[in-house]
Amino acid sequence: MSFTLKYTDITEIREITKQNYTIKELINELGLSSQTVVSKQNGELVIEDTLINDGDEIQLIQIIYGG
Amino acid sequence: MKCTKCGNPNVIIKKEQSGQYLCKDCFIESIEKKVIKTIRKEKLLDKGDKVLVALSGGKDSVTTLEILNTFRDLNIIDICAVTVDEGIDNYRQDGVDIAVRHAERLGIEHKVVSLKDTYGITLDEIMQKPNHKGSCSYCGVFRRTIINKAAREMGATKIATGHNLDDEVQAIMMNYLEGNTDNLTKLGAKTESKAEEFTVKIKPLREIPEREIGLYVVAKELEVHFASCPYAQQSFRGEVSDVINKLSESHPTIKYSTLRGYDKIKNALKDDFKKDYAHGRCEKCGEPAANKLCKACSFIEELRGD
Repeated sequence: MSFTLKYTDITEIREITKQNYTIKELINELGLSSQTVVSKQNGELVIEDTLINDGDEIQLIQIIYGG
Repeated sequence: MKCTKCGNPNVIIKKEQSGQYLCKDCFIESIEKKVIKTIRKEKLLDKGDKVLVALSGGKDSVTTLEILNTFRDLNIIDICAVTVDEGIDNYRQDGVDIAVRHAERLGIEHKVVSLKDTYGITLDEIMQKPNHKGSCSYCGVFRRTIINKAAREMGATKIATGHNLDDEVQAIMMNYLEGNTDNLTKLGAKTESKAEEFTVKIKPLREIPEREIGLYVVAKELEVHFASCPYAQQSFRGEVSDVINKLSESHPTIKYSTLRGYDKIKNALKDDFKKDYAHGRCEKCGEPAANKLCKACSFIEELRGD
């Protein structure tokens, strides 16, 4: 069970390590804030409570930069 | 989860402050309606206005342009735009190119003004000077002066900036915490100066949270420059922003209540604390100035003296 993560210039395959794994959990694992990114699942905008499925492409787009 | 408004199962946002779930179309409509409501409530536009949009190519200014353009489509206002090229290598050019493409797409009058052409120096060159005062001080002053000049040259009656709810709340809290009552009198949806050389400034996005503007441009597939300025530094604004965002997690309406509270006391603040500045002219460039030289020219003199 795996999905593709696209974030900035990175594209990588990641394992789904638990059941009911959400985008919010992924964002937390990456040390990002859901206040600064928006998420797409297979090209469509979704909310962070969305579950990640086997074979998904999850794209995180950073929309807010600090400073 | 379904869209609270239309029942569409494909929701793109859960609004923490209201508990609403919205689909893409209802979200886009809600943002546009809210900005239009702010414009009407605060009387930001008059029929026949020519509005200069300060267009960096970032999400806030592109959204400002996009929504104001609906008023242009209705022949209520005319729009022009200016983009300031500060001269930051590997950063600014992308934003400038995006701004040019938006202006061409909408068919609006647009000019790009560089610090180099105006003052003979880029921000990168300033930052090489040993005694510089920090990039943001120069950038803010030079940009403001260039935008004001452009407004006069292009015959604009208003200047629209992309300040969002987060920007406004940060400014309110920063100035309050610093005890800066003078700056507190200058915030708000519309700022007018007694000096007629300063064009009225309006902030149509001041009630829209920053994240929602980011989501709006992605949802509408608007081309914007998402990048961090290489000179961005951990500033007092950043610290205040972190505290407010942390508080918002458990108090999701706090940014709105801070703004509302400020709007209620603003007139009282103005009555008691608004200063009347001497309105002279800069001896060097002729721009409005409180002293012999305007702030931009005094910076240039200091930089030349290094």
